Amino acid sequence: MANILITDDAAFMRMQMKDILTKLGHQVVGEAENGQDAVEKYQELQPELVTMDITMPEMNGVEAVREIKKINPDAKIIMCSAMGQQGMVVEAIQAGAKDFIVKPFTPDRIKESVEKVL
Amino acid sequence: MDTNQYIEVFLDESREHLQSVNDNLLKLEKQPEELTIVSEIFRSAHTLKGMAATMGFEDVASLTHQMENVLDKIRNGELVVTTEVIDVTFSAIEALEEMVESISNGNDGKKDVTELVSKLEKIENGSSTHELHESTPSKTSDTLFEMDEYQSTIISQAAEQGYQVVQITVQLNDDCILKAARAYMVFEKLENKGEIVQTIPSVEEIEEGNFEQDFSLLMVTKETNTDIEKVIHSVSEINQVEVSEFTLEKANNNEKQESKPESVTPDTNTEAPQGKQKQSKTIRVNLERIDNLMNLFEEVVIDRSRLEDLAQKLKEPELTETIENMTRVTEDMQGLMLSMRMVPVEQVFNRFPRMVRGLAKELEKEINLEITGADTELDRTVIDEIGDPLVHLIRNSLDHGVESPAKRRESGKPEEGNVSLRAFHSGNHVFIEIEDDGAGINRDKVEAKAIENGLLSAEHSEVLSDEEIYQLIFSSGFSTADQISDISGRGVGLDVVRSKIESLGGNIIVESEPGKGSKFSIQLPLTLSILSTLLVNVQDEIYAVPLSAIVETMLLDETQIMSVQGQKVIDFRGKVVPIVSLREIFDVPRQDESKEENAVVIIHKGDKMAGLLVDSFIGQKEVVLKSLGNYLRDVFAISGATILGDGQVSLIIDPNALVK
Repeated sequence: MANILITDDAAFMRMQMKDILTKLGHQVVGEAENGQDAVEKYQELQPELVTMDITMPEMNGVEAVREIKKINPDAKIIMCSAMGQQGMVVEAIQAGAKDFIVKPFTPDRIKESVEKVL
Repeated sequence: MDTNQYIEVFLDESREHLQSVNDNLLKLEKQPEELTIVSEIFRSAHTLKGMAATMGFEDVASLTHQMENVLDKIRNGELVVTTEVIDVTFSAIEALEEMVESISNGNDGKKDVTELVSKLEKIENGSSTHELHESTPSKTSDTLFEMDEYQSTIISQAAEQGYQVVQITVQLNDDCILKAARAYMVFEKLENKGEIVQTIPSVEEIEEGNFEQDFSLLMVTKETNTDIEKVIHSVSEINQVEVSEFTLEKANNNEKQESKPESVTPDTNTEAPQGKQKQSKTIRVNLERIDNLMNLFEEVVIDRSRLEDLAQKLKEPELTETIENMTRVTEDMQGLMLSMRMVPVEQVFNRFPRMVRGLAKELEKEINLEITGADTELDRTVIDEIGDPLVHLIRNSLDHGVESPAKRRESGKPEEGNVSLRAFHSGNHVFIEIEDDGAGINRDKVEAKAIENGLLSAEHSEVLSDEEIYQLIFSSGFSTADQISDISGRGVGLDVVRSKIESLGGNIIVESEPGKGSKFSIQLPLTLSILSTLLVNVQDEIYAVPLSAIVETMLLDETQIMSVQGQKVIDFRGKVVPIVSLREIFDVPRQDESKEENAVVIIHKGDKMAGLLVDSFIGQKEVVLKSLGNYLRDVFAISGATILGDGQVSLIIDPNALVK
């Protein structure tokens, strides 16, 4: 049971993610549609966990991870990546993301990841 | 795969490896117990095999493969190094060299190697009967790690300091997609726990995701196995983790050959093995490019002299200053460029130890070849050409020079003959000497032969000194060996050697002492393309005389010229020196009757001198030697032409032809 902030520029993806997380018994406290938004909302909502898309307008996921880490070095962030973004994923991990999941997601995979990170 | 672009590199590297095998084989023959040498040879063979297979040269690959098998057995102590092994390996190397050469000549490098392969196979299997009884331990499946020296050192040190070495195999979930990123996370977690020594596959491959679902790594750590397992499992998408202890003994099955010599001679081996050549930062450049650069530079030199002339006319101090500076810079550039073309004579000398070994066996003589000055550098073009003449001279020394062991014993010499090959710099020249301690040249025989062949008249022969008689062996159609052997003495030879060396702008002389041996000295110019010359006027024409041949210049009075048997001579420091007029030799039309030739350039060739009569001296000039082209080859006393600053063409005199 955790408070989670979802970040994705596609509303559909946010819906799907919210659905899965809610079913797993978590509380989705907010949704951000780009990196900049995510950083602001992180500061405002202080979630326990953030899911972060990589390719987004305004500020991409990797930069957002860096910004959030500046606010809170212990922030827990899971990257949501599409296939073929290996380099970006590694960069995000180096920036301090705790895990990553690859789209399309499965509930099991999200469950595993969230449990490991928390 | 289109492999054409790699062919140059392939050839270069192949030659290097063959040479290293060559050297190491010779060493191995002297110290057959030294397994590090075998490892070196093995490595070269292995690299060759890999390269050849990639390039599609099957025959090279199959031969090296078989060599590798034999070497591997030696390395593992299952075979003993015998003369037979060395001989067969040498012939394999010879065959490989042939193939590589054929490839470099644009052929397919095919050669029937079945005989050699079967010989090698025979060695490999034949001796397996007296294989050591130490049962080869079956490869344990749980260790795939092959250690190099560095890694095994880390491991043994770690063990001493109370770290444990663990082998970890991580299996990812089957549906894991970004495997590399996942592996990266595992590494990141482990990095805090200890030091990762090695991974399978390599780190690069893991980073590119080039692995099935699992990868293994070896790390030095203080954590317990379960802790490590836990840490790895904290990463998502991990299916299975296996952590087990790792000891060097386990690895030894695989790398016995490497660790063995180490444990026997720990660090006493201060003399680094051949393979660890000193590292210098180099790049390979195609020789053609350097030649092109040189050609362009020659154009610059021509323009430079044009500018020099202009500056002299205009007398503008600023211009003169700039040009003087440019002259200095271009001179430095020239030096650099020439040094780029310089290669150690080693390249040529390298092949001789094996050749001498082979020949000595064939001739049933005992011969020790001593090479000094292999690092002496020579112009690339000279290096390419000098090989054959040297081969000939060395063969000659072995065949005609050094006597058979029985004969040597009779004349009170050690049975083993000595042949030394020396190279050294001196002034603007490089000298290469081949000296043997054999029978020397028999003056009477040479004389008789020369008279028989009509090279000499009987009465003339009496006047000649020993030295002069010896030089006759370079005349065409000359061979003094009583019996013509396979190796030399077909009567074509020394004259070819001489003309080759002369075409390179060098010369050769022989010294000899009966019963003590003989010495062939070759003198070669350092470079061939840019010459320092003295420009002289002959009527309206300008000629260039190479500075290296000039002894002195002087002005003469009519009265100083004397005549001996119709030949004009002068008294030059107590020596009678013949005088030749360039105007007469080159048939220069006389424009101005009043111009009186009274300037003389004294030139030399060896000890002999001659004076060239010219109208006046112009001055010293660096000129670029251009050949006269194919239509005008072998023009008497002219070695080439050059373009002067004012665009005039000047012929360059070949002083050697003018001194008799």
